Amino acid sequence: MSRKLVLDSSVIINLDRRGILTKYLNQKRDEGYELLVPRAIAEEILDDPKQYAEEIKETSPELAEKILVSVERMKTAINNDLIKVEQVNYKKYSRILSNTKKHLSKLEAKPEHAVKKGDPELITLVIQLYDKHREKITVASKDKGLLNTLKFFSKKVEYEVLRDV
Amino acid sequence: MGMSETASILKAVGNLNKARIIAHLSKHRGETAEDLAKHLGYPLPTVYKYLRELEVAKMVESETKERKVKRYYPRDFKLEISPEKLMELFEQPSALNLYKAKSGDNDAKRLNEVISKAKSGRMTYRQAASTLGISYYEFILLLEEIDAADE
Repeated sequence: MSRKLVLDSSVIINLDRRGILTKYLNQKRDEGYELLVPRAIAEEILDDPKQYAEEIKETSPELAEKILVSVERMKTAINNDLIKVEQVNYKKYSRILSNTKKHLSKLEAKPEHAVKKGDPELITLVIQLYDKHREKITVASKDKGLLNTLKFFSKKVEYEVLRDV
Repeated sequence: MGMSETASILKAVGNLNKARIIAHLSKHRGETAEDLAKHLGYPLPTVYKYLRELEVAKMVESETKERKVKRYYPRDFKLEISPEKLMELFEQPSALNLYKAKSGDNDAKRLNEVISKAKSGRMTYRQAASTLGISYYEFILLLEEIDAADE
């Protein structure tokens, strides 16, 4: 059975901007990892940049064009199953999702609905995958704050953080 | 004045029909779209389209009063153009410059504070983006540019 590697957008965007996303994904797959993202992160890496490119296309057409090309590469990685979009079970993990949102909204002093979905979904996906497979889950993120929050919510979950990104 | 604002004004006054609407409204403040179409001889849908664009460019404003009639007024603006200004306008700005142009210098200071918090793990990147009112993707670009400048 393949090991599970949950990727955060911070890593995917960074690798793509460095021009090594596909190489990295292939390398990890060859090492026996299954690369996963929750739906919120798939939307974040495809929809957010498109919207940003649209906003800046008049003042900065070259940057906008680069961003759209980057989106296509990330989309191809998903379409080719190099990155698999895993659905979080909202019903089963509603409490975890809700508690994570509460925790983040308190830190941010913002209402829960204003918390971006990526953080709670990534944390919940790690817990969901561990519950299902009972094996150590690997997480790749450049976001220390997210990793701190993950630590807080996954005390009964075995996971490790990949540092090679 | 930010570069995007300069670009909007240039684009608007670059179209002589739109420039004529502004000139006409300066003399005949509070005219409706129908008045403008009649006085300037433009088709009404075109006048609506121009007025919408001029409102977005903050060169015209409107108010709706009696019988829900929308009346239009020119807004005060000043456009200074020089070769340097044009150079700045057409130079490909970085995400950081775009952010500064959009948000002003005060927000640029706030950006540094928020980035510092995110880098030290006191908030997540998504929280940081949300605090700054920008998308996650834009935040990552800004973070990368600031990191590259620090190196």
